[in-house]
Amino acid sequence: MRSVLVLAALLLAGLALSFVVSEYTLRLLNMAVIAAVAVVGLNFAFGYAGLISLGHSAFVGLGAYGLAILTTKAGWSPWLAAIPAVAGTGLAAAALGYPLLRLKGHYLALATLGLNVSFGIVAANWIELTGGTNGIAQIPGLTLAGHRIEGERTFLWFGLAVLAVLGLAALAIHASRLGRAMMAVRDDETAAAMTGIDVTGVSVAAFVLSALYAAVAGCLFAVHVHFVSPDDFNVAHAITFLSMLIVGGEGSVAGAIVGAALLTFLPEWLRVLGEGYLAFFGLMMLAILVFLPTGIVGLARRWRRPVRPAASAPGGARPGVQP
Amino acid sequence: MADLIQLLTNGLALGSVYALAAIGFVIVYSATGVVNFAAGQFVMLGTFAGVATLVNAGWPLPVGYAGALALMALFGLLFYAVVYLPLSKSPVVTIIIGTVAIGITLQNAALLTFGSWPFRLVSPVEGMMLEVAGAVIPLHAVAVVVATALLIGLLWLLLNRTALGIAMRAVAQDARTARLMGLRVNALLAFTWVLAALLAGIAGLMLGPMWFADVNMGDPIALKAFAATIIGGFGSLPGAIAGGLFVGLAEVLGASYVSSAYKDLIAFGAMILFLLVRPQGVFGERIQDRG
Repeated sequence: MRSVLVLAALLLAGLALSFVVSEYTLRLLNMAVIAAVAVVGLNFAFGYAGLISLGHSAFVGLGAYGLAILTTKAGWSPWLAAIPAVAGTGLAAAALGYPLLRLKGHYLALATLGLNVSFGIVAANWIELTGGTNGIAQIPGLTLAGHRIEGERTFLWFGLAVLAVLGLAALAIHASRLGRAMMAVRDDETAAAMTGIDVTGVSVAAFVLSALYAAVAGCLFAVHVHFVSPDDFNVAHAITFLSMLIVGGEGSVAGAIVGAALLTFLPEWLRVLGEGYLAFFGLMMLAILVFLPTGIVGLARRWRRPVRPAASAPGGARPGVQP
Repeated sequence: MADLIQLLTNGLALGSVYALAAIGFVIVYSATGVVNFAAGQFVMLGTFAGVATLVNAGWPLPVGYAGALALMALFGLLFYAVVYLPLSKSPVVTIIIGTVAIGITLQNAALLTFGSWPFRLVSPVEGMMLEVAGAVIPLHAVAVVVATALLIGLLWLLLNRTALGIAMRAVAQDARTARLMGLRVNALLAFTWVLAALLAGIAGLMLGPMWFADVNMGDPIALKAFAATIIGGFGSLPGAIAGGLFVGLAEVLGASYVSSAYKDLIAFGAMILFLLVRPQGVFGERIQDRG
């Protein structure tokens, strides 16, 4: 129940901001909401099931390109195009997941990294379909009941609504049998298998869920920016998604949203650093990993219940593989 | 035929660089259990250490090379103290992301120091060509292959024939027992990082004249070194060599016989295929702790 309240508070904060901030900040908020959808998805794979994926932005890209191609080449409405784009990404994740998810730890990290790089190479070179490095422009925006969802403020309302629905769904899954099975697999695969959990099935389910959310984020990106290119979905973005989840606090929907918002705005706040931002960013990530392994949400949790070790708090345990 | 000889030499030279990068990666992994995702930036720093001493400071070749390698050794030590020690007790996932993060910092630091303009690092045998069976081969490519072979030989001697190397392997096998036997585990681990940085530095110095020295060169090298490691077998030195040569040859031959746009897909495709079918690679390693 508390998680639902936290989620509601975050979304309402976004809504309140939408009335007071500048056009430019609204655009950043939209970027943050789109990233948040992707990161809430990544939380299924990494936060709950402990699957380290460095290929998340390939799934965002699959969703975005799916919608872009169907709307610009086949002339579909973006609403209609989003369905096969998202479903297709889910199917791709399932097809990849079954063989890949037998891998763990750095093997999985490298495999997903390879997938994301391969996605970039194909997107940049399959020019007839993807437009190559020039990308696809003039992707139509959304229309809802005769109103065009255009302008940063209107889009933010729509984005927050999508995030609300997907966030609630994520919380429901977190509390469900499937969600608990994912966390059991993360904490101890052997023990989970002993209790009758289908480890591969649960891992693939987490992976597919994460890809579905990623694809929705990709569709939002495409209809918001109206343009997609391979650079929007490279490995650097996959690393950013993972960083957002870690900064916010993995295993928590609120953490995913907070992390996404924070890392979207951080470059703006640190503009004084200029080109040195990334050097600072890397050191900051390292410091968070060393000193704050449960992220911002973990910090809040520790502050609320100082006696209880953070590792035993729900979802607070770092999804590590036992040595 | 002449074309093929040329391509093979270039592929082997590039493969040698990948092999050295992969060896540095594997040595660290076997000794410390750290999967160093910043390995590509190590090579990039090696190239730029050369840029700093040879181009910017204008030192003569032997002094410049020595200076660059000294910088790399220092960097290895620094990495051990600032990145490895704080992270060493963390789970695999944390270490992976930590090294990714520090890789971003290193790349950005190089950008701030050297700028985005690419540099040209000259080879000691710049412009010299060999003619073999009608094929014209840059001497630098041959020198790279020979130097790599020599280095691998020296490394083998170090690891198998010296007390230092045997102690390093003991630490890699079981750090706690090694400590009980009175080995100075921390010093040995620090030396492992220095060795890895030196190997990456040499790879970077050899790569400099083959590519332009560009601060963004780390990521592509890392990806190739990872692919080499997986294909050869994670944790295996012969595997890193074979994998590196395979990836280099696949890149050069693939670019000219298959498609220059898709040349990199061969290496990554092979890597993913190996992960799926034979995750222990060609030179199968023990695999009980795959996670």
